Amino acid sequence: MSTDSNDAAQLLYPPNVQYNGSKVYTIKFLSSCFAGAAAGTLGLETWLGFGLFLFSTLLTFACLYVKCKAKPAKYAPGGLWDLLNPGQDNMFSFLLVWTLFYGIVHGEITWQLDPTASHINTVP
Amino acid sequence: MAGSAVSLYLDPQIRDWVLFPITLVMILVGVLRHYVMRLLQSPPKKQPKEAIREQRALVQAQILRATAANSPIPPTFYRSISQGLSKGLGDGSYLKEGPSKKDEAPTPPNPLTDPNAMDGMMSGMKTQMVMMVPQMIIMGWINFFFQGFVLIKLPFPLTLGFKSMLQRGIETQDMDVRWVSSLSWYFLNFFGLNGLYRIILGSDNAADATQTMMASPFSAATSSQPGQPQDFNKLFKAEQDNLEFSEGLYNWVAQDVETRILRKYGRKV
Repeated sequence: MSTDSNDAAQLLYPPNVQYNGSKVYTIKFLSSCFAGAAAGTLGLETWLGFGLFLFSTLLTFACLYVKCKAKPAKYAPGGLWDLLNPGQDNMFSFLLVWTLFYGIVHGEITWQLDPTASHINTVP
Repeated sequence: MAGSAVSLYLDPQIRDWVLFPITLVMILVGVLRHYVMRLLQSPPKKQPKEAIREQRALVQAQILRATAANSPIPPTFYRSISQGLSKGLGDGSYLKEGPSKKDEAPTPPNPLTDPNAMDGMMSGMKTQMVMMVPQMIIMGWINFFFQGFVLIKLPFPLTLGFKSMLQRGIETQDMDVRWVSSLSWYFLNFFGLNGLYRIILGSDNAADATQTMMASPFSAATSSQPGQPQDFNKLFKAEQDNLEFSEGLYNWVAQDVETRILRKYGRKV
């Protein structure tokens, strides 16, 4: 009956819902950024990189779950799935940071290790 | 140029002078856009008391109805509010122009000529312009200055279809798609910085690219006409019916609370 879901929605206190939502979003964003940095620094390629993203998502979910004292429905509307899914924005942020660190670490190290290629890049 | 078997080596100066500046510029332009939007948005026009009362009466009725099944208001209050609203909605005393005359049918205001609706549509258009213009400028800037060289290697592979877009300006046939030019770095930044904006500027910021793309000018126009061209007379009639229906559903949350408490503490069977 639709009034049941309405009743449940009425009992939520909007400012709290918003605060929780933004906190959870910040946590997910930061964890995806750090996962991207880790993946890039380690030089992980395709599947390994996405595997790390998946692993970081699960780790974040586990931490949030513990913080919710095992009752996600009380802290986030939409319960379990809200805590688990990383969000589309965070996927792109992960890609961005991963590419950034991969470029920084990968480009520099191979240049240093292979002096015979120095004729390609003339350093003034 | 080397095929995919040999790695390319990138000058660290490329990294310093292209990678970081593009990211920095995009972050700063995003913040700029947000503040420009805030300055450009004109404050909502002060509406006369009757217009506000018209909108608020509807909202009040809806709020009352929403909690009717588990209502926190005792029966006497609920019924008096409900009946007062019902009467007010019915005989048109809440309408902007006062009770309608019996012989002429009230007409909804025309959205094109109503000045309030035009303001709403204008602000929607302004938002679109402010979002699109800096993006175009930055794309032009990148195409002009940072063209013709490979910037970075993507850690993940893409299909060949992306090659034309991501390697624009680099005239090679069989270089791996993972080596990309600066424009692709621009695209990565474009999508990936939304989360950062949300943290710096708070949610509901004007720099969010995905929200702007989803909200086309049409949706901006429809959402900015929340009350003006709607026929309040019809709405009031519908609301009156809903109110009466909810009165049937009404149930006070504290009904028989004395009995429940006694039973809970075991004093009464």
